[in-house]
Amino acid sequence: MAEDYEPRIVAFLCKWCSSAGSDLAGVSRMEYPPNVVPIQVMCSGSVSPLYIFSAFNKGADGVLVSGCHPGDCHYIKGNYYARRRLNLVKKLLEYVGLETQRFQMSWVSAAEGTKFTQIIKDFVKELKPLGPQTKLRRNP
Amino acid sequence: MAKIEDLKEEAKKLLREGKVKYIIGYGAGSNGWLAAPLFIKKPEDVDKLVWDPTCVHNLVRFLVDEKRRKARQKQPDKRPVGIMVKGCDSRAVVVLLQEKFIDRSDVYILGVSCEKMGVVDDAKLAKKLAGKKAKRVEVDAQDRFVVTTEDGKIEMAAEELLAERCLECKANFPVIYDLLSGEKTKRPLDKPFGSLEKIESLSAADRSSFWKEQLDRCIRCYACRSACPMCYCDECVVDSINLAVTADTTADEKAQRIHWIQRSAESSENLVYHLVRAIHLAGRCIDCGECERACPLDIPLRFLNKKLEKEAKELFGYEVGFDPALPALISCFRDEDPQDFIR
Amino acid sequence: MKRTGVFICHCGINIAGTVDVKKVAEELAKHPSVVHAEDYVYMCSDPGQNLIEQAIREKKLDGVVVACCSPNLHETTFRNAAKRAGLNSFRCEIANIREQCSWVHKDKPKATQKATKIARSAVEKVRQNESLDALSVPVTRRALVVGGGISGLQAALDIANTGFEVILVERNPSVGGHMIQLSETFPTLDCSQCILTPKMVEVSKHPKIKLMTYSEVQDVSGYVGNFKVKILKKPTYVDPAKCTLCDECTKVCPIVVPNEFDLGLTGRRAIYIPFPQAIPASYTLDDKNCPDPFTTIACGKCADVCNPKAIDFDQKPEIIEAEVGVIIVATGYDLYDKENMAEYGFGKYADVLDGLQFERLCSASGPTMGQILRPSDHKEPKEVVFIQCSGSRDPENHCAYCSKICCMYTAKHAMLYKHHVHDGQAYIFYIDIRSGGKGYEEFVQRAVEEDGVVYLRGKVSKVFEEKGKIMVWGVDTLTGRSIEIAADMVVLAQAMRPSTGAQELAKKLKLALDKDGFLAEAHPKLRPVESVTAGMFLAGAAQAPKDIPEAVAQASGAAAKAVAILSQDRLFHSPTVAKVISNLCTGCGMCVAVCPYDALTLKDGKVEVNEVLCEGCGTCTATCLRSAIQVKNLTQQQVAEMINACLGG
Repeated sequence: MAEDYEPRIVAFLCKWCSSAGSDLAGVSRMEYPPNVVPIQVMCSGSVSPLYIFSAFNKGADGVLVSGCHPGDCHYIKGNYYARRRLNLVKKLLEYVGLETQRFQMSWVSAAEGTKFTQIIKDFVKELKPLGPQTKLRRNP
Repeated sequence: MAKIEDLKEEAKKLLREGKVKYIIGYGAGSNGWLAAPLFIKKPEDVDKLVWDPTCVHNLVRFLVDEKRRKARQKQPDKRPVGIMVKGCDSRAVVVLLQEKFIDRSDVYILGVSCEKMGVVDDAKLAKKLAGKKAKRVEVDAQDRFVVTTEDGKIEMAAEELLAERCLECKANFPVIYDLLSGEKTKRPLDKPFGSLEKIESLSAADRSSFWKEQLDRCIRCYACRSACPMCYCDECVVDSINLAVTADTTADEKAQRIHWIQRSAESSENLVYHLVRAIHLAGRCIDCGECERACPLDIPLRFLNKKLEKEAKELFGYEVGFDPALPALISCFRDEDPQDFIR
Repeated sequence: MKRTGVFICHCGINIAGTVDVKKVAEELAKHPSVVHAEDYVYMCSDPGQNLIEQAIREKKLDGVVVACCSPNLHETTFRNAAKRAGLNSFRCEIANIREQCSWVHKDKPKATQKATKIARSAVEKVRQNESLDALSVPVTRRALVVGGGISGLQAALDIANTGFEVILVERNPSVGGHMIQLSETFPTLDCSQCILTPKMVEVSKHPKIKLMTYSEVQDVSGYVGNFKVKILKKPTYVDPAKCTLCDECTKVCPIVVPNEFDLGLTGRRAIYIPFPQAIPASYTLDDKNCPDPFTTIACGKCADVCNPKAIDFDQKPEIIEAEVGVIIVATGYDLYDKENMAEYGFGKYADVLDGLQFERLCSASGPTMGQILRPSDHKEPKEVVFIQCSGSRDPENHCAYCSKICCMYTAKHAMLYKHHVHDGQAYIFYIDIRSGGKGYEEFVQRAVEEDGVVYLRGKVSKVFEEKGKIMVWGVDTLTGRSIEIAADMVVLAQAMRPSTGAQELAKKLKLALDKDGFLAEAHPKLRPVESVTAGMFLAGAAQAPKDIPEAVAQASGAAAKAVAILSQDRLFHSPTVAKVISNLCTGCGMCVAVCPYDALTLKDGKVEVNEVLCEGCGTCTATCLRSAIQVKNLTQQQVAEMINACLGG
């Protein structure tokens, strides 16, 4: 794999916990690779499987969905629906041969700037050896 | 396989008394051995009904058409439609009830039990006959298939000819019905998802090549969608070709259709189309196999849907099509739903 | 053609140090719908805001993106600026290129590229934003207070005294809660009943308070400002208007059951008044015990002797419906179950009591008229052992939390004991003494110095009966000595837990509970009296163990929060709510099932959104198979374009 390959990651962050946690990472000046571009959604429960398929289709090498920890959802239970729905998405993507590392989900609270930083670092590290994602990617 | 004399009596009575609008059942097919859907309006036509292992179709799809037809009529005939259902088909009715697509009073369900058997796989049959033409397929008293050809009869063990989905069927009898022909006998089932093992045991790379090879053949004719009783949306989210435009459709609504994928039959687009279809059928597909049967390219679509059926069962303890009062798979959760995949 | 303006903030060097802001502006200017792109050193400053306003006016912008810090900081600032320039505030979006970009990256070209994508994504979003106006709803100017203990009484009085109506619901026959059972209160040792009964009377006489005792909240629907509640009024079978409190009925009633008010230390009849100062001052015929559940015979003797004919066996449970704008939950606490403390002989030995039972023994109105006597033989105990943290601070076996008030009331108990039994000796086993509070530390010192209370730091290992004494074995961890006391009485400072039934009530009110079952506050520090549900507030020990002054303070706080809502004409609500594309909706009801706020309903085979209930979380959107329900200004089409923008380039 070329040394300068930089995976492209889209991260769907819920506004109340994970986006706030990512803000905290910023306020604390923690450093992580710039490969991830965040999209703030209201709740992890609003992340449709279509978003994930579409992101891969548009060329994402990795997709992250991050929400509040179970029991902490700002909308009471949106993250539980997300957990169920996205588990199915993960199983399906693996089944059609997408590398399991490419789709990830995490719980990041507003206080977990460190955890967010670590997740992004690990994600980029895991994606690099895989090279570009081509299976779902539309030919440009 | 059940005898359907009682069903025929009931069907005649229903038509005679005008209790149903018409009956959707199986009749003799035009190509010889395979049964075909039959619409009966007159009591005297009831005797044309057949019930044998070639009744492969899921007639529930016709309820979708019926609903659309009714929606277009100014003064629709509100009487129920009689429909013949096998075990799998009956579970499709349950899902349609669960999703409030139909009302229980819209249908009069004439259930027929496969009684430990099921329907034939036409590909398997063709292979067995090696060029010979089948005239009839029946089941004998020992639960063996008897295939009548021009040269006489051939006997075959159930396993040799049964469709793979029938070998993995959880209930070979209707779970909801107004009248049931036959017994509620189950065939023993040790590996409800056995057919998936071959693909699951492949490496990620091999699975990827397997599906690429299969789905690259897809010509996006959407026969799978048209045959599926669950694909009842007026417009599929993956295309904007036939937006249900009515007098009150606003320009905004037209503009708001999202082009998630291209309509061209490229590898990536084909894969995403089938992924979307699979995820939208999660917790809804009852494994009637119509998508696969309708596919002109013989893509093993059932393996996509069956996989999610398996995950729903194993991850969430969810079984499709048994209780119309239950919430849909993705409209509920359990506190203990697995989350080992989440960081 | 859309006319979007993009404004890139340097934030001094906070952004410009890592992101080439000029380059971002240049890149964004290439976007077909961007007609204006500029950077400025501090966009949030007055001149910065003026730049935005000016550009909106001069270039007739129909959308604005400000690429700057987190939207949590200046979204409101910039939306207000847009509004001043005549643009709908919902047509202004923030691209977070500071917290989520410049502050976390060092490589300038890469950070610049990422900032460009973030800004482009915001342009795609704002391009499709609708102009929206805040939703508003009228407010029902009435409060519901659940629970008639000190917190509920205080909250009800505070609200009623501002002129708003209050419905106070108490499930027991009288208000007063646990405080009315207490003898004296720490640290001043003033009589609990003497300070509480005036408040109880005030509540019952207050023209703005509708007191509903022996009643329970059965169902709550609606939303902040507009709750509909159903209250079950249980029959007391006695008409308080006719009852003259002559007490003839209890004299003839043949059914005796344990008296809850004295925690089972005495009995009461099936027809009873909980205590002499009960409010409302009336009797209750307890239909769980009359007719006798075994013989199922109602003897009717009480009715026979009732001269004013106040007893009415035909009373039926009533459901009373009311509309309220706010709800205060003050359901209080109960003591940790006896059964759980078998290790201290609780429930096994008559002379092992809990703190509340000891309060009753000390109380002048209690079963012994204020004399401290052993329940077993009515003798005066000469040595009494008090055990603190009974069930508290024990994460392995019992409750992990500190019940907070036990240190203080145990010191008080020991002191009161000495005041009654001058030649007695009190011992207190403790883990730590927590006496934070005005006058609290001095109070504990007084117990030690003036009343000779012996504090033993350590846990009790065994409690058992021997020759009429209760043997208490323990270790003094300060000296390392093992200790054996032949006590006449043992008093356990039982842990506090949420009151029985609070969990079911929380479910009806859709309130969240914490891990211990107490009601969860919206924020542990900054919103301690608000619940997670708008318009519902918490007061007293229902939220966490607390003493009387704290409970009263929280009740007044909750009342102030409640009044802040009640005093409004209308409440405003975010308009970024769900909308249904009705052509695509098949009425499957999957979204209805997932909505956490019951904001969706099926009507004629299509889904409808109650915009006031909807919080815009979008869980419905992800559930719908047909993309037939979308959240305004964050539609799936917007997200699809944002995904594109995030991956492009």
